[in-house]
Amino acid sequence: MKYLGLDIGSLFSKAVVVEEDRVLASAMIETTGKIDDEVNSLIDETVSRAGITRDDLNGVGLTGRGAKLSKVGVVKRDDIACVGTAVSRLVPEANMILDMGGQSITSILLDEDGGIIDFMRNDKCASGSGKFLEVMGAALGVKVGELDSFAGGSTKPVPVSSQCGVFVESELVTHVNEGEKPADIMAGIFESVAKIVTSQALKFGFQDDYTYTGGVGKFESVIGGASKRIRGSFHEFPYDPQFAGAIGAAMLAEED
Amino acid sequence: MNFAGIDVGSLTAQAVVVNEDGIRAFKSIRVKPNPVDSAQAVVDMVLSEDSLSWKDIKFCVSTGYGRDKVQAKGLSQDNMSEISCHGLGAFWLCPEARTVIDIGGQDAKVIRIGTNGELADFVMNDKCAAGTGRFLEVQARTLGLSLEELGEIALGAERAVELSNRCSIFCETEVLHYMQAGNDKADIAAGVCRAMADRVAALVRRVGLDGEVTMTGGVAKNVGVRTELERIFSVRLVTYEVDSQIVGALGAALVAKRMGG
Repeated sequence: MKYLGLDIGSLFSKAVVVEEDRVLASAMIETTGKIDDEVNSLIDETVSRAGITRDDLNGVGLTGRGAKLSKVGVVKRDDIACVGTAVSRLVPEANMILDMGGQSITSILLDEDGGIIDFMRNDKCASGSGKFLEVMGAALGVKVGELDSFAGGSTKPVPVSSQCGVFVESELVTHVNEGEKPADIMAGIFESVAKIVTSQALKFGFQDDYTYTGGVGKFESVIGGASKRIRGSFHEFPYDPQFAGAIGAAMLAEED
Repeated sequence: MNFAGIDVGSLTAQAVVVNEDGIRAFKSIRVKPNPVDSAQAVVDMVLSEDSLSWKDIKFCVSTGYGRDKVQAKGLSQDNMSEISCHGLGAFWLCPEARTVIDIGGQDAKVIRIGTNGELADFVMNDKCAAGTGRFLEVQARTLGLSLEELGEIALGAERAVELSNRCSIFCETEVLHYMQAGNDKADIAAGVCRAMADRVAALVRRVGLDGEVTMTGGVAKNVGVRTELERIFSVRLVTYEVDSQIVGALGAALVAKRMGG
């Protein structure tokens, strides 16, 4: 039984084909706003990569910020429920999810059976989000996907004093003008992202067994810094964490 | 006798010279990388333009960023917080004002002043760009407009667009989407001014609106934001004759006059 899950995020749209909790194929494109074109092309691409056709699918689930804008007739799912489902099935040890998306940071608390107890979300402020990193990358002339390796060589991160993305961007420019190494500046910004993410989790009520999901959750520079700030055991999401929402959408389609 | 005030802000620095008759001279410049250099440059300019020299200034007070460093370098004899200075400057310009909304390039303050211009209460936002001059700057850049144009063009809007975000970065994305969707620039500019005024209004409500209201700082020149604030609170903002960006330096000069006069 094969299910397809789609996650139309604020920056990227993702799709996966899932069979018995295994991901058979995945695809990702930048979100442009033409939601239905994106949904259709992602479905075509993902089924083709899985070596199947649309008729082989037993169900389709759709989630993410852009889901409500889609006219494609599939059931729309709450994105927190999707991420929670994906983690409860694939990382059963985890009872805390630190989800870092394009426009939001969410701490999700799971019970022993993987059900969602509660969550805390910041989607009002860009600080620490994928969009925030995109802005900093643009200021340094580095694509967001390359920022991790760009900052990886830093030995002396430059501390950031602001939280607001607009002010951090100004700080970044000041540091560049003062002759600081761009890699050190970016490493300092990654440390501030790690602080933002862990502050939320600690405020919300940090649990011992945790995992990271979302696009920012695959930045080594962020999770390395975050892990230093929290105690407990990290359990790695077995696939690209950016796909957690799409995987959960497919799993929820199966549960119906 | 002349007295001077220096106010170094995030984007501009001002110097004001006052005497017994009122404001004698003022100058505003873009800031230099460090506040002492900014203070030195703006004072040198205001003095030379009015054919004055340092010895003609009896007392000088600094305010704003690095006001203590400016004093330590001997450019001023004392320093005072920009909140008190803005209150005193605004009170001198409009004695009836009890609430001063001061929006600078990088922060926003709402100051309540007493019957002698003294500081009664204030709230400040310098953590988030929303509701500060930087918010307007970011959106104006996206719209390809100068800050002055943004306010003026907004007045001609037929129907302001709704910006659903507070965050400057998220609003920038929204502005871009409205532009791509073909919305009228005036309607987008009006939406930006409204969103800006909403943020400022939230700050005003925290300290409460009392008596007559006036605005200082660079954003006070933005007619779009002023109009929105007047609409939100059903008030007329009290106007005055001088550049709204020199009010802090004016307050500092008035303090200098009181201290050294």
